[in-house]
Amino acid sequence: MDVVRLQDVEKVYTMGKVKVPALRGVSLSIEKGEYVSIMGPSGSGKSTLMNMIGALDRPTRGKVFVEGRDISRMSDDALARLRRENIGFIFQQFNLIPRLTALENVELPMWYAGVPKVKRVRRAAELLRLVGLGDRLRHRPAELSGGQMQRVCIARALANNPDIIMADEPTGNLDTKSGEDIISILEDLNRQGRTIIMVTHEEEFARRAERTIYIRDGKIVS
Amino acid sequence: MLQYIELSLKNLAYQRMRALLTLLGVIIGITAVISMVSIGTGMTKAIEEQFEAFGTNKIIISSTMEFGAKGRGLVDADVDDMEDIVGVAFVSPMYSVSTGSEFKGEEKVITVWGLDPGKAERTFSDVGGYRLYRGRWLEPGDRNVVVIGYTVHDDYFRSRVELGNNIKIQGEKFRVVGIFAETGDPDHDKSVMVNLDRIRELLGREDSVTAIIVRVKDGADVNIVRQRIEERLKNRHEDAEFTILTSQQLIEAISSSLKVVQVVFGGIAAVSLVVGGIGIANTMVMNVMERTREIGIMKATGATNSQVMRIFLVESGIFGLVGGTIGIFFGYLISRAINAAAEKYLGPGMLTTAVTPDMVATALVFSVCVGVISGLYPAYRAVKLDPVEALRA
Repeated sequence: MDVVRLQDVEKVYTMGKVKVPALRGVSLSIEKGEYVSIMGPSGSGKSTLMNMIGALDRPTRGKVFVEGRDISRMSDDALARLRRENIGFIFQQFNLIPRLTALENVELPMWYAGVPKVKRVRRAAELLRLVGLGDRLRHRPAELSGGQMQRVCIARALANNPDIIMADEPTGNLDTKSGEDIISILEDLNRQGRTIIMVTHEEEFARRAERTIYIRDGKIVS
Repeated sequence: MLQYIELSLKNLAYQRMRALLTLLGVIIGITAVISMVSIGTGMTKAIEEQFEAFGTNKIIISSTMEFGAKGRGLVDADVDDMEDIVGVAFVSPMYSVSTGSEFKGEEKVITVWGLDPGKAERTFSDVGGYRLYRGRWLEPGDRNVVVIGYTVHDDYFRSRVELGNNIKIQGEKFRVVGIFAETGDPDHDKSVMVNLDRIRELLGREDSVTAIIVRVKDGADVNIVRQRIEERLKNRHEDAEFTILTSQQLIEAISSSLKVVQVVFGGIAAVSLVVGGIGIANTMVMNVMERTREIGIMKATGATNSQVMRIFLVESGIFGLVGGTIGIFFGYLISRAINAAAEKYLGPGMLTTAVTPDMVATALVFSVCVGVISGLYPAYRAVKLDPVEALRA
């Protein structure tokens, strides 16, 4: 079954009077449990593609189905709920909230989902232990290394137990060793049956995915 | 809701200095509102109490004729008329005038109240504050004697005026037989009481009366008696020659004008609260701008628009609540300090400011509203942020 399907997706950004096409007719589908990497030079439209797949943005034309639902027809709040329940995000910039502890950062998606506090804290702690940060629960992002921050980010992505993990250059700001650790955590998650979609610059990591999608000038080239 | 409050407090704690400065605006506003309104309430109460002490069973008829004007004004015959009216307990005519006086060679203008010596005590002893400090009231048969207000005794003239001293009024000697205690009303404390007939004699206005105080019999309806008096007076006078006021009307008139004072006080204070609200709005707009990326994260990880809205509204509401609470506390302190000062400089019971539970509740609700309303625009901006754009910030 497809967890993600794009049909002739076009996305045009309007900057003042200039229309900038970012995606020009992209069709693709990703199966449940697949491990897909997306590669392409900067400006190729891969971030836009990520935003479509991650239900962060709607297409200008064409259809995007996530978990069988057409996101181009959904309201902001419905999209937020879809992201909350079905998609976990991992960012190059980590995007943790600086004043909250590791534990509280991981709690947030559950907070939005209305999970009661006790349950929330228990699960967040469990997830942080799973990524090897059992002893860093009360640390704030500033007190953590890049690799550790990215692991907090993975724990947060897993908070509501989503099927899809979207990783946008997850190793981009990490040294080789930490990058390697993150990739192997992602591979573990894939083995557990989660769909991993990763944008990356690094040929070596991309090749470890089951499938690599190359994008250039807003079109899939292979 | 508790969860939102918890999160907001974390956010506020993270930017202590900014939060504190923002709070300061609200604190000053609410402090001003509470202390101003409490002074207003205190003033109203003090004045109402003074008038209530005057009793609600009196009717005051005053002549509106200017001194020396043609026309008759009130005269002794009116006083006699009123004594016959059903429901009237007694009638006390007065003649008040500002005139020259002299004590130990020092000349000063003084307010003289001419009263029927037999009725002076009955008329004024149940008026709040009119108690003797020394000596006695005017008595029937008194002619060249005077009872003086406390200030006249104390420091109106260069040397103190004591019992047994003589004051010259209209060139005639009057012997001081009584001194009133302080009433708190400086005009009253600066006036003196003499025999009505004697002062009129000296002024050559034997028949005139400037005011008549009528005391209504217990159980009689003040308003009906007032009407009867009015009808009776109209037989002899034009409408424009006199005014009739019941003490109730007097109290109402005074308290309604005090309400205006209160509203003005409160209004001035409210302006500072509005400024405080603008401070909150400013801080919240800055928060939203600084936390643009964070709002992107919130949305990416599944926060709905209404949740984002609520997070920011609760945050600004808490500014209002915390600022309001502290402001009420300071306002209460100021109100207490004013009380202490009033007691020291004006005398006990002259001005008792009060912070009532009503005021506290209103101030709290008001300050939270100011907070939330100030947060509306910033929260709306946060909601309108596009998650993709916000993440890129």
